[in-house]
Amino acid sequence: MPADTRLHIALTFDDRFWGPAYATMRSIALATRRRKDLVFHLVHWHLAPENRAELEAIASEFGATLLDYRLEDNAELSALLTRLPHPKELPPIVYARLYLDRYLPADISRFLFIDCDVYVRVPIENLFAVELRGRPLAAAPEPGRQHLMLGDDMKGVGKPFASYDRYFNAGVMLIDRAAWRAADLPGVLDDHLESGLILKLYQDQDILNLKFRDDWLELDPRWNLTKPHPALRSLDPWIIHYTTGMKPWNSLAFVAFGSSYKHVMTRAVLTRYRRYRRRLWLQRLMGRKP
Amino acid sequence: MAGPIHIALTFDDGFWAPAYATMRSVALSTERPGDIVFHLLHKRLSAAHRAVLDDIPAEFPGIRLADHPIDTDPHFAAVKAGFVFKYRRLNDMVLARLIFDRLLPPEVTRLIYLDCDVMVRSPIEQLWEADLGGRSVGGVIDPNRQKVMLGTAFRAKADIFDFHQAYINGGVLLIDLRRWAAADLPGRTEQFRRDGLIDRLYYDQDIINLVFKDDITPLDWRWNLTNATRAHEALEPHIVHYTGDLKPWGLIPGAAFFSNYRHVMTQEKYYAYLRFRWARNLRRLVARLRPRRPETAA
Repeated sequence: MPADTRLHIALTFDDRFWGPAYATMRSIALATRRRKDLVFHLVHWHLAPENRAELEAIASEFGATLLDYRLEDNAELSALLTRLPHPKELPPIVYARLYLDRYLPADISRFLFIDCDVYVRVPIENLFAVELRGRPLAAAPEPGRQHLMLGDDMKGVGKPFASYDRYFNAGVMLIDRAAWRAADLPGVLDDHLESGLILKLYQDQDILNLKFRDDWLELDPRWNLTKPHPALRSLDPWIIHYTTGMKPWNSLAFVAFGSSYKHVMTRAVLTRYRRYRRRLWLQRLMGRKP
Repeated sequence: MAGPIHIALTFDDGFWAPAYATMRSVALSTERPGDIVFHLLHKRLSAAHRAVLDDIPAEFPGIRLADHPIDTDPHFAAVKAGFVFKYRRLNDMVLARLIFDRLLPPEVTRLIYLDCDVMVRSPIEQLWEADLGGRSVGGVIDPNRQKVMLGTAFRAKADIFDFHQAYINGGVLLIDLRRWAAADLPGRTEQFRRDGLIDRLYYDQDIINLVFKDDITPLDWRWNLTNATRAHEALEPHIVHYTGDLKPWGLIPGAAFFSNYRHVMTQEKYYAYLRFRWARNLRRLVARLRPRRPETAA
């Protein structure tokens, strides 16, 4: 049986991020030379059928493959996600990353995980070509790591990190499937829930950094350029990660490639996504949505 | 490279808190706290502010502080007495840097010098182990070098510096101290005075770049990111150097890692330093506004 040379990319998102998920996939499809090899694994939670239908344009426009994994069909995991601690701006769906091994087809040996607030600007196969050198994953360093690990005054907040630990941003990760499976991340999450440590951790990103401490390959920051100030345009970054509150799908966004991003999302989808968000905001205002 | 890692800072009482923050940033990032020795070359540092610096070894056991008060150092006094000219850019802190080899113990043969307006984000041992390639000084090429080297219209100092010279920023240096001593920087500075150049030189940075002209190893730019603003945070600098007007201990945001820096300095010391500066500035203002006694005829 020939080796699987397709480009497996996993995204986890809930209904609120259908528009950015579309834009992220379209940015990948626009930049790659291997559109037909793209396989997007969409791990989603309560994604409305009409919004799922919007994503189908990725398959029709580029010939990419979309595979769906509905988390709400798994009652046990669905119940777990609802009780995990999370801030308002980051839904508990982010923890679904830890369960990817349970969902993805068994024959995938290597895959890319990517957040939905990123914009890919170069052929993604260039990232797949990175040699992992026996490491479980490759990722870019997180610029704000010390405050994340140590809290205010860098005095420590009960997280088992050393101040000098390396720490990656989990928004773009090239993953070795076997090592990911061996790490038993769902088991690690259970342990942190039982010990209560989960309340001190910065979601799954802390969990991953603790588990793979000093056992990850450091990527060039241009593979995951966080806090993308407009001045960074001139560096021609490969993947932009809109980590701050300024998101390129908003009307006012002082970020790198904010205008280009809107064309990647397409103005038609952007219009419908903004309308969706306005409706969501109104429903929240009226107390109909949490 | 096993053994102590010697790091020198030069500062007066006005920079007690940034010196603390610089040291704490080193301490937070290193994996070898037991090897770190900070050599504090200070001037008129109050006892209260010196006591604050002891929080570093208290929080990070193994780190050592070695005091070298230049106010009372006979070597410093002797060198200073030999300088017969007055030049505002050749202040005591600059002079101290020129004679590291005379002020530090003889066992210090390799040295990292850090300005007090830097924040270190990577293990300093990586800089310590950088290959100097047999040269005297390692530093990062200064992005603003052409203006500094050549002056107005890129002409005013064209007789001193060559446009293409590798010119480093003096805020972060890796020094072979034996070669530093052999270069006789005070003597060369005196020669610059005799040649009529001294008034046009930019602090010790110009002196170092002139003396070690072909004897400098350029380091990775991330070891001294100057004029760092928020846009640069994503570039993973190892050392952020706040050379611009936006200082991270000020109230106006915009400097790189502005918020992080405050947590490195710690909130308590950040506000103490703010009060210290306000009080100092108020004293200066009062002194300036105070009416002068009219001169009386003899």
